[in-house]
This record gives sequence, C-alpha cells and structure tokens, in this order.
Amino acid sequence: MELKINLENSKETFKNSYKDTIAKKIEDGVRIATKDLKIELRSKNTLNFMLLFALLTSAIFSLSVPASLAAIISPALLWLVFLFVGINGYSRAFLREVDEKTLDGLKMAASPEAILLGKILYNLMLMFIIEAILLPIFIALFDLQIKDPSLLISAVTLGNLGFVIVASSLSILVIKSKARELLLPVILFPLLFPIITSTISAISSALGFGSAANSLLLILIYSAVMLIVAFLTIEEALTE
Amino acid sequence: MRMTKTTVIEIENLWKRFGRRVALRNISLEMEEGEKVAILGPNGAGKTTLLKILAGQLKPSAGEVKVFGAKPWKKVELRRKIGFVSHSSLLYRDLTALENLQFYSKLYGLDYDTKKMNETLELVGLYEQRNRRVSTFSRGMEQRLSIARAMLAKPEILLLDELTSGLDLEGRNSILSHIKKNFRDKTILMAGHDFDELEEVCEKGILLNSEIKSVGSLEEIRKSWEVP
Repeated sequence: MELKINLENSKETFKNSYKDTIAKKIEDGVRIATKDLKIELRSKNTLNFMLLFALLTSAIFSLSVPASLAAIISPALLWLVFLFVGINGYSRAFLREVDEKTLDGLKMAASPEAILLGKILYNLMLMFIIEAILLPIFIALFDLQIKDPSLLISAVTLGNLGFVIVASSLSILVIKSKARELLLPVILFPLLFPIITSTISAISSALGFGSAANSLLLILIYSAVMLIVAFLTIEEALTE
Repeated sequence: MRMTKTTVIEIENLWKRFGRRVALRNISLEMEEGEKVAILGPNGAGKTTLLKILAGQLKPSAGEVKVFGAKPWKKVELRRKIGFVSHSSLLYRDLTALENLQFYSKLYGLDYDTKKMNETLELVGLYEQRNRRVSTFSRGMEQRLSIARAMLAKPEILLLDELTSGLDLEGRNSILSHIKKNFRDKTILMAGHDFDELEEVCEKGILLNSEIKSVGSLEEIRKSWEVP
C-alpha cells in the first residue's frame, strides 16, 4: 500500500515536469547545430579537409577525363566528389561527440530528435559551404555549358539534402564500431542508390542530356521517408 | 496520518551484460527523496554502469529501473532532473567555460543570464578562467567545470562518479561543502573509493561487486570490505 502511494507521488512529480514540445526540439536542434558550427569554425578540422579533398578530386578528374567526354560524365563525377567528401565529412558530426565523450552530456540535456536535427542542420550548413565553393570551380574546370542553371542548383542541393539526411542518420549506428570508417560506406551506398541515380539524371538534364522527369520529386519523397524513419528510430539508436 | 516520502529511484532485479560479461547481476534497490547513498566496490564492480543506467545513458539487459516512476533512457525531461558527474567531463574542449555552461543551460531550458553563469563559475573557482577554452584546462579545472555543468539545472538527483578525482584539497573541500549546503534535501548516489569523502556526504553505503554484497552504514561497509 505504501509503495503504491509512493509511486503515485513519483508519477505526479514527473507529470508536472517540463515536457519537450516540437518547438523546443527544433530550438535545441538549432542550438546544437550552431554550437557545432562554432566549434568547426574554430578548429576547422572537418571543413578544411572536405574542401581540400573536393578541390583535389575535382582537379584530378578534370585532368584525367578527355574533353570530348567531360560534359557527358561530369554529372556522375560531380556526384562522386560530393559522395567522397560527404561520407567522411558528414559522419564527423556524431563522431566528434563520441570521440570527445560529449554525446552523453548531450543526451542528458537534449531529446534524441533534437540531437539528430542538430546534426542534420549542421551537416546542411557544411554542405552549403562546400557546394557554394565547389560547384563554380567544378563547372569552370570541366568547362560545362549549363542549359538550365536553376535545375542544376536544385538537383545538387536536393541530392545533397537527401545525402545529408541519410548519412547523418546512419552515422549514429556505426559510431561505436571499431571499423566505422569502413562500415559507413557499406551500409550507406545501397540506401543512397535512389538519390545517386536521380541526382545524376537531374544534373545531366540541366546540362542538356536526357530528361529529369520526376527525379527531383523522387529525391524529395525519398529524403522525407528517410527523415521520418530516422526520427522514429533515433531514440533506440542513441541508447546502448 | 502517516507521512510518506517520495520514492525517486526504484531498481528491481537489474541485470546488465556487455556481450558475455555480466556487469550487474540481480540488483534491487530503492531510494527515497533526500537519501544519500555511497556505492563502493573494486574497479570493474559495476559502479559506473549502475550510475549510467540511472542517468539514462545505458539500458538494462533485464529488470526494471525507474526514476520518478519512469524509465530514464526514455524521457529527456527526466534526465534533465539528474545531475551526472562521470569520469569524462562531458564538456566541449573547443568552447570556453562560459560557452559550455551557456550551451547546456539553454538545452536545460534555463533562463540564466551571464551574471548567473558567472556566479556558478565563481562557485567552482573558475570565474577568472571563464573565457578560456576547456582544452587549456587542467584535469582538476575540467572536473570543477563538469560539476558546475551537472549542478546547473538544480537537479533533484545527483549521480556522482568519483566526484573529486583530479581535484586538489582546496577544490575537493569547496565542492563537498557546496554539495552539503545546496543539495541537503536532494537524493545523491555517489560512487568512489575514498571513505572519508563519501562519509562527508552519505549516510549509508552499498558494497557492490557486480551484485550487492552488503548494505549498511559506511562504517559497516568499511569493515565488511576485505581489501586483498
């Protein structure tokens, strides 16, 4: 009887506590992303590496590919550069928390959804920086004639958005693995397949090759599905 | 009418396994509001694992664990009521001491201004170093900031894992007196090896070695703990 009274008291105390709303989760997500960006801009560990790698790969591709083929295969090459850069770069958002042992502190103060949102937003910010620098350089290196600039920007941005969502969500699953750098691409590539093919098709269309019918819509729908799955599973993924 | 105290921690038949290794074996424990209990035991006894489960960092392999009637790994609102000081400071090394506290206070939903932050930093003796990055801190300074972080939200429960490790005598005394003064009516579970330190805060103890070996006053625990 006494234990029952005690439990009722406990539940009442907890019920009165502050409950996280969606607005609070979004606010916390923005705070986590801002914190990550501040740390990144101070240490420049990830961004410098990502930019250097992107520019180096683009330069090597532009020197190796014959000019006659450049326009046709450049969409795939551009996407390959983003893939190489993103696979290593986007997983850093979670890896840094694990390596510095701050993820436990974050879990004490923020909801799993806010943590995931924060990492996605932070990676999106990285993506925009990389995209803004890399895209003009890549176009110049390959001397590409853009038939539909808005389609090109939409394709690259939406493709990267989907990539960031999938990479951010999956990196949490491999962070404690000893072979995490190898494991991430293995589980990431199959899930990225629809995004890769749709984005390459849309970029090709922007350059005047083929049609991008429904490619952008497919990327959007796929990204939305992956985002929902990620938010539904993040609590399980974050707790050992 | 009989006054009943709130049960804040309930553990029933808790097991925790890491692969084949059993870290905690059939632990049952109940703590009421305001109780202060020390957990003692050799290295690898499961003290940190137990605290991590209560802090919602780990899930039990079997058994029931409830804090304020709910599973701590399920509710962040509940975890915010727990102040957790662990082996690692849980601080961002590229942020300053003040930025770390500001970041955490916002996540905790606290409306603290810089003055309040500075008071907290003063309390742990880090006001002068508030604008220094944590990466430049000594182990003791980091631990003091970690304690400030854990106590920021005025938690209902304190889980303290080797609280004063890395602190000098002055730092140790100041932190212990702060806890005794400001957390008098809070529930504290404190793991460590230093009987004198544990005796300053806790009224009873648990001797743990994967399973609960004995429960009693710290003096009784001291006697029952056969040091090899």
